[in-house]
Amino acid sequence: MSSPLLDVWDAASNSPYQPTVGKGSQFTVGFLLLVTAFLLGGVFGLNRSFINLPILGIPASLAFGFGAVYMICAVGVYV
Amino acid sequence: MRSISFFTSCIAALSSLAAAELNLSQPLLSKQLLASTFKPPQVFKNANLVRTTNLDKGYPRETINVIIENIDSKPQSEYYLPFESSLLSRVGGLEVKDKKAASKDSFKVEVVGYDAESSTEFYLIHLPEPLEPKGQQTLSITYSVLSALSPVPAQISQSDEQYLQYTFSAYTPSAYNTDKQKTKVKLPSSDVPDYTKLPAELNAEKKADPQKQGSTFTYGPFDNIPSGAEELVSVRYEFTKPLTHASVLERDIEVSHWGGNIAFEERYWLQNLGAQLKNHFSRVEWQKSSYMNPASSALKELRVPLQAGALNPYFTDDIGNVSTSRFRPGKKEALLELKPRYPIFGGWKYSFRVGWDADLSNYLRKLSTGESYVLNVPFLEGPRQPEGIEYSRVNLRVILPEGATNVRFQTSVPLVDSTTSLHKTFLDTLGRTTLSLTAINLVDEFRDRELIVTYDYPWTAGFRKPIVITLGMFAVFAATWVVGSLDTSIGKKKTV
Repeated sequence: MSSPLLDVWDAASNSPYQPTVGKGSQFTVGFLLLVTAFLLGGVFGLNRSFINLPILGIPASLAFGFGAVYMICAVGVYV
Repeated sequence: MRSISFFTSCIAALSSLAAAELNLSQPLLSKQLLASTFKPPQVFKNANLVRTTNLDKGYPRETINVIIENIDSKPQSEYYLPFESSLLSRVGGLEVKDKKAASKDSFKVEVVGYDAESSTEFYLIHLPEPLEPKGQQTLSITYSVLSALSPVPAQISQSDEQYLQYTFSAYTPSAYNTDKQKTKVKLPSSDVPDYTKLPAELNAEKKADPQKQGSTFTYGPFDNIPSGAEELVSVRYEFTKPLTHASVLERDIEVSHWGGNIAFEERYWLQNLGAQLKNHFSRVEWQKSSYMNPASSALKELRVPLQAGALNPYFTDDIGNVSTSRFRPGKKEALLELKPRYPIFGGWKYSFRVGWDADLSNYLRKLSTGESYVLNVPFLEGPRQPEGIEYSRVNLRVILPEGATNVRFQTSVPLVDSTTSLHKTFLDTLGRTTLSLTAINLVDEFRDRELIVTYDYPWTAGFRKPIVITLGMFAVFAATWVVGSLDTSIGKKKTV
């Protein structure tokens, strides 16, 4: 019984996994993205037009999507 | 007549289904059934055998060093090790190595047995290279036996010393004839009030057994013991420590790529198998003696060493947070000191959960070949106690990120089951890929055995969570726009 997976582990010793946003900055990034989403959403709410839907809605949705993921990680629910 | 019995057995099988209560006290072992006329072929003999039983801990640890010799005319590679069926279900962590090449991997071992009515079952040891005729090889067989020690007397007072009895065969059970053998018993102290004496005629050197040397008892040497021979003996010795037994340990390891975190959670169902209390528990007596810290049969504290870098530990039970715990982070090792809500005396139970986080970068590496990852975690952590702890069942779940595929794993811990399934939790749409591994009859010596898991995780799968939330949010915006642009006014439409 050899240990091929242990060799795989040893071979990858130079590339430990690093997340895009570290644990220390998850709250900042998540908070900024959520504020952005809130502001863009607010502007859209004041001026609901078809053209504003992609111009404000898409960036606001993206900011909310990523912001929500980072915020839930920042409060300790690591998804 | 036969059809009637068949019919009744069908009814019995169906009724047991209807009253579906899973009895996990009998471990689920996978095994190969042999015909009831099976007898291991007498192709080996044990030239010399030394068995050492170590009773230092709360479970017996057996080490059998045996020189086996092929007495057949053909090369042989299958060595059978017999156990009584009731004993076999409590034997754990059986490993066989070549004594002369101990650093090499252990041999392949599997359980084989007769039909359910037979009282003898076998471990089948596959030698990696067949042994030539007249060839010899030294095997080192190690295993532990769970729930094997019985307190005698079964009831003691709160501050009494506890005595345990262990019954075993002075002749090592073997499927082959043994030329020369000896059984050594290492006891935790020299306080051994009772033990079985064997007559001098049995001994090869005509000495009365056991021969005592400090806290070590030796039975034998015995010459020319035929296969299957047993000579039951008992020792009763002082062991005023808890017999900590975990009926189930559930251990979850959750990997989060987004959070760069690995979360561990362990749920224990503990029981002390030691002597029960004769009278009621006296808190006053307990508190008075606690300053002197005497040896006690009660479980007072569990010390759980964690790997360095452990963060955010918690210790809760059915009631809630247990505040009597300490966490000492350190550079080499972090130590979690847990005090249960009450001292756990013999027959008492306590279930609780502990959990902690750690940075994922210490456990996960990215492979150079595309989007694959390799995870290296300890299979078992748990308390490190001087008296040890035994686990009759360990269910380990490795919860990988959602969308991970091609999961492969490797561990040196003997497993009985492994499955891959989906586990749904926060912000999941499909569910996370989960590797479930089951092992039975483990002891704390299996701490820090590695479990290595590799999986593929494409970056598109990683974006599933934010994209799902994004789409949901965009749907809200679109709905707002649609609802806002509806004209719900009464009367004619105004034309401005």
